[in-house]
Amino acid sequence: MAEKSIVGPRPKASQDPFRAYEEWFVASPDPWLEIIKLDHGTDRTFGTTVRSMVMNAEPDQRPAMEKRLLQALASPGITDVGRTFVCRQLALIGSSACVPAVAALLRDPATVDAARYALDGIDDPAVDAAYRTSLDVLKDRAKAGLIGSIAMRRDAQAIPALHAIAAKATEPTEVRTAATRALERLNGKA
Amino acid sequence: MISPSFSSLTRRTFLRNSAVASAALSLPTILPSRLFGQNAPSRKITLGFIGTGNIAQPHMEALLGFDDVRILAVCDVDKAHRDTAVAKINAGYGNQDCRSYNDFRELVARPDIDAVLICTPDNWHALNAIEAMRNGKDVYVEKPLTLTIKEGRELVAAARKYQRVAQTGTQQRSSKRFHDVAEFIRNGGMGKLERIEVLIPANNKYTGATWKPEAVPAGLDWDMWLGPAPWAPFNRQSCHYNFRFILDYAAGQVTNWGAHYLDIAQWALGMDESGPVEVIGDGEFPTSGLFSTATKVDFTCRYATGVSLRCRTRYDGISDGNVRFFGERGWVDVSRAKTTASDPALVTEITAQSGKGATKLAVSTNHHDNFLQSIRSRARPISDVEFGHRTTTVCNLGNIAMQLKRKLRWDPVKEQFIDDNVANRMRERSMRGPWSLA
Repeated sequence: MAEKSIVGPRPKASQDPFRAYEEWFVASPDPWLEIIKLDHGTDRTFGTTVRSMVMNAEPDQRPAMEKRLLQALASPGITDVGRTFVCRQLALIGSSACVPAVAALLRDPATVDAARYALDGIDDPAVDAAYRTSLDVLKDRAKAGLIGSIAMRRDAQAIPALHAIAAKATEPTEVRTAATRALERLNGKA
Repeated sequence: MISPSFSSLTRRTFLRNSAVASAALSLPTILPSRLFGQNAPSRKITLGFIGTGNIAQPHMEALLGFDDVRILAVCDVDKAHRDTAVAKINAGYGNQDCRSYNDFRELVARPDIDAVLICTPDNWHALNAIEAMRNGKDVYVEKPLTLTIKEGRELVAAARKYQRVAQTGTQQRSSKRFHDVAEFIRNGGMGKLERIEVLIPANNKYTGATWKPEAVPAGLDWDMWLGPAPWAPFNRQSCHYNFRFILDYAAGQVTNWGAHYLDIAQWALGMDESGPVEVIGDGEFPTSGLFSTATKVDFTCRYATGVSLRCRTRYDGISDGNVRFFGERGWVDVSRAKTTASDPALVTEITAQSGKGATKLAVSTNHHDNFLQSIRSRARPISDVEFGHRTTTVCNLGNIAMQLKRKLRWDPVKEQFIDDNVANRMRERSMRGPWSLA
């Protein structure tokens, strides 16, 4: 004869304060929400979880992953480290879908490197267009870095702009040098 | 690189003229070897060091002992290291001629330096070497050759484009012990080769799940130390030596020791300009904390011939690697300490057969001298950068496979993974501005 349960069905959390407390007590934070709080030196376990999910996602699961990364990127209060982390995950699975949101980061010297981490590997002319547009906005080492990305992506449409930068006496030496070397590579001489 | 304009100039005339120029520039009057032709008996090869820390020290000590070498300058972003290096070199020569630099670009711009030794952290190797070669310097690059597969291919391309001698610091190729075993395997000494097993030391370092940024020590140019790597605050555990346990700067013991022992496997297999076609890995990585490279390494490559190569962490506390070849005749195992075999007679046979097989591997008994001789002859050195790149690629294939935890197919001709976009994106990394491979 089957033994009878002495517990019976449990009430829902909304009807039982103890159940609500218990669920809160044992709940594991959502790693996709935790990554926006990452900072240098803090526990990065949630970041590791997200990275594992991103790396191991099947191709048809990647759009959903990318969407969650973009949600994290748009979160108010995301830390600099969190933003860089998200962009480095997009570097693995990012597609054309992420270009508009990430390209917005190209115009700020504080976020341009993170944006390039995400965009450099995406084979989409929209990335090249965004890079060219940002040339007019950035200065100094941020601009030199962007020029390096343009060169490595072999964006021939950037050649006129690079010629102008290389010839502009008011540009810092490192920017002019970056433009000159980019031109060498784009002309097939590098 | 011999300038035609100097080909008819006598050394004495040039010395007389250049003495004035040197005095004006307040530079040492050691003249770069390329000015006198390759065989001028009194020529000295002039060197600079980029990076003067841990691994640079034995290089300096060894090269100070070469009569035909003069170390003219050093570069380090840590003033303490820089000053120590200058003092050592000046003491070695009994003068005060050695110059020091914080920025490697200033050192490689000097026209009186023939070659540079690159002993910086891994994230800098490609940029240092390419800039040096662009400025006409031959290069000796410490292992692992580069941080990423893409950087390695760019470095090799630069060596060919600028026609520079480029040696990788995999000095086991200049050891008779490793040479003889590799040549024996290459000539079929073990019969049909079945598999290779490589053991590398463990990374047993742990700094806790969290860490705190620290003040940058006086004299350390931290931004320059980071170079192309993502910005991060200073912590003493992330800098000298231990950088190798952080994936932003290095790849852990896989490249630290794997660069040596996987190199011997590649040599023995005749894969110096190729590599495996498949890799699968199952390593363990710290989930938090400052260090991020694999604490447990275990990956297996398969070559087109069917031979497998497994690399894994050893836990016996021995601070050395070893490579063991399994064939029809048993096994032979070689490390820096010894050669052993399933049958002791094999060890005797290996020594006896050295230089007698149909395939004769290049011989070098001194890695520095091999580099210097190559500078003179313009021949490729025993650890040419193509070979160093291919070995480092095996290391990186293993690291990528251990992170992705799935079987990856690799095209060693195109140097790309087959049907795996994520893996392909892991072949390279974007650089922090202003740095670029371009």
